[in-house]
Amino acid sequence: MKSVQNNTQAHDTIIRLSDVTKEYFLGSTKVEALKGVSFEITKGEFTAIAGPSGSGKSTILNMIGCIDNPTAGHILIGGDDVSSLPDKKLTKYRRSTISFIFQSFNLIPVLNVYENIELPLLLEKGLDEKTRRERVMRLIEEVGLADRLKNKPNELSGGQRQRVAIARALVTNPLVILADEPTANLDSATGAKILELMQELNQREGTTFLFSTHDQHIMTLARRVIAIKDGLIVGDDRKGA
Amino acid sequence: MLVMIGRGLEVAGISNAPFTIALRSLGRRKSRMTLIGLLVVLGTFLIVFGGTFATSAQIGSKQAIIGNFTGDLVLYSSKSKDLPSPFSFTTPLPPVENANGLQDWLASRNDVSKFVGIAQNYGLISVEKDGKKLDLSFLFYAVDAPRYQDTFNNLAIKTGAYFGVPGSGTEDGILLSTRQHQQYIDKYGINLQPGDKVTLLSVTGGGAVNAVPTTVRGIFDPVKYANVFDYVNYMDIGTYGKLYNFTGVAEGSLPTEMDSAFGASSDEDIFALADSAAFDTLDVDSLKVQTLTGYTMLSVKFKEGADQQAFSNALKEQGFAVKTATWDKASSFFSSIAGILQAVIVGIVLLIFLIVVFILMNTLIINILERTGEIGTYRALGADKSFVSAIFLWESLILNLAAALTGIVLSLMLIFIIGPGGISLPLIISQYLVGGGPLQMIITPGPFVFGLLLVLVVSFLATLYPTRVAVSVSPLKAMSGK
Ligand SMILES: Nc1ncnc2c1ncn2[C@@H]1O[C@H](COP(=O)(O)OP(=O)(O)OP(=O)(O)O)[C@@H](O)[C@H]1O
Ligand SMILES: [Mg+2]
Repeated sequence: MKSVQNNTQAHDTIIRLSDVTKEYFLGSTKVEALKGVSFEITKGEFTAIAGPSGSGKSTILNMIGCIDNPTAGHILIGGDDVSSLPDKKLTKYRRSTISFIFQSFNLIPVLNVYENIELPLLLEKGLDEKTRRERVMRLIEEVGLADRLKNKPNELSGGQRQRVAIARALVTNPLVILADEPTANLDSATGAKILELMQELNQREGTTFLFSTHDQHIMTLARRVIAIKDGLIVGDDRKGA
Repeated sequence: MLVMIGRGLEVAGISNAPFTIALRSLGRRKSRMTLIGLLVVLGTFLIVFGGTFATSAQIGSKQAIIGNFTGDLVLYSSKSKDLPSPFSFTTPLPPVENANGLQDWLASRNDVSKFVGIAQNYGLISVEKDGKKLDLSFLFYAVDAPRYQDTFNNLAIKTGAYFGVPGSGTEDGILLSTRQHQQYIDKYGINLQPGDKVTLLSVTGGGAVNAVPTTVRGIFDPVKYANVFDYVNYMDIGTYGKLYNFTGVAEGSLPTEMDSAFGASSDEDIFALADSAAFDTLDVDSLKVQTLTGYTMLSVKFKEGADQQAFSNALKEQGFAVKTATWDKASSFFSSIAGILQAVIVGIVLLIFLIVVFILMNTLIINILERTGEIGTYRALGADKSFVSAIFLWESLILNLAAALTGIVLSLMLIFIIGPGGISLPLIISQYLVGGGPLQMIITPGPFVFGLLLVLVVSFLATLYPTRVAVSVSPLKAMSGK
């Protein structure tokens, strides 16, 4: 294995994958989901991972998201190698460093809009009620749901639910927000609006986004597109900026 | 109340999110949770009501046994190898020595409220029918009649009268139980009635027979434990003494030579007595007649709050040749009936709870399997495993606590509906349980505390495994879209 320790970056690299592989076993047959993937994400980027179904997009995001371990290779988040940490440490990363936006929104059905957004702050001990309230209210305004505070998820449209999820992802000020096909469960117009919101937040708040998609239109909204096929990176295009 | 718990947790600085989520999640699965809730309500009701029933039976049987047979303490001969029992007729315990001295001592004690001497024995009633002699067998308690009535007022006279007040001339004789009376009619065609003169025959070990004439005074039903004690009859202690020769010369008042002569085994020794100087000079006035009462036991009832240990110590100091047995030791198997019932009820309830545990566990696991997406989401958002287990422990606790309290309230309601009249039970059951009559429900904290603790422990145990399943759900489950 090649050393990653000494490769310090000049600019703000917040995520680095080096030669990451992932193998699954279905009975005795081996599935090579990732066959050696390396790339970096810099602070403030707005990156899409694009590729056909089964190419390994979710696998990459799950490993960066600290909910899955690579078979080989290294994943550095904020300079720390997370590729073989125990569950407790990974949980801490998920709580304070990373946020998710899910394809199916994954709001907690029994909590209302306000409470769903507040939930990640309750997992982080030591935040008083006032601080929490300020942060939650600011983000509710940002995603344009100030009038739906008390609504439960099942009283909201798909687009509104994903807005709540975006606010929930932002509330902890994470290093990066990971979104696996955030628009897949939305019609294309709503999907585009959600992506525009993410774009706005990226520009206004400087939040780093890394999302996957196989939607051609959504891809065009990204400033960088990492193309992947059969577990290998086949392209990495940055729009001039 | 649950809202208050939540508020309390918040004030204490503990994140109450798991509690809030648990409480609201219960509401989302109403029909399934109601089912579990009802099971726990039923289980709690059974244990609380059943426990109260059994405890009441125990209190009732204790009162019935102490009140009608044994008193609080039974004194019996220190020579006895067996414990006293209500059924020692055919192998009576040895008589208590110096029973009169003992009775005087008991009367002098101010921690004793009542006491009575009792002898259990059997004999024959000799009657004539069509010119032929018939011997009817007869089990009896021989008692100091007025004292017995004062201590255990447990005979309901149907015809005739109780032995009567001393000096009335009717204080000696026998009382027949209704069942015994009927048996004599059925078996021998002999219908004994109050006022009838009969002859009692004793049956002693040496084969000697004493005949004592007496009178039938009354026919009665036992008030308590009628089914068990309906073959027991009564005799006054005076008649009993005559029947079994419990009258003699008091020890120590006889000159020594004579004493030894009476104990002589050869004819020579007895004839030697005639020559003895002592025989000529015997001062009859110095002889004390001792009534060996023949009592095989003395039942003692204490005043409220009496120190029974102090009593026992004082008794020991007096040097009477007696041992003591508490009411439960002296009542044969009767005192254990209510205890057995309690054990049976507890056994049944535990069985029900075992079933509840399995249903509860199953439902909780189904519940968790349906919510892997939600659990995965908590974990993906950075919740520790303890957050997830807290949700499910709260769900189980809230549900089971609410159900347990409902079960307790239902039990209390039923107990109050039953009221002071008590529960009327089938005669045979109530006879063995509390000596007959309705069972008074007595509220004691025991069954309530036990019921509540059991539900809490059971719900905790039933939640342990499902909770382990829940915390093992991977955050990856958050990703599997619907
Ligand atoms: N748990 C698993 N067990 C076995 N194989 C898996 C597992 N998860 C993913 N795979 C396989 O790994 C490969 C990559 O899957 P992945 O979910 O990352 O693809 P994807 O690009 O996200 O596809 P899609 O666009 O359909 O979501 C696929 O061949 C898939 O079948
Ligand atoms: Mg995918």
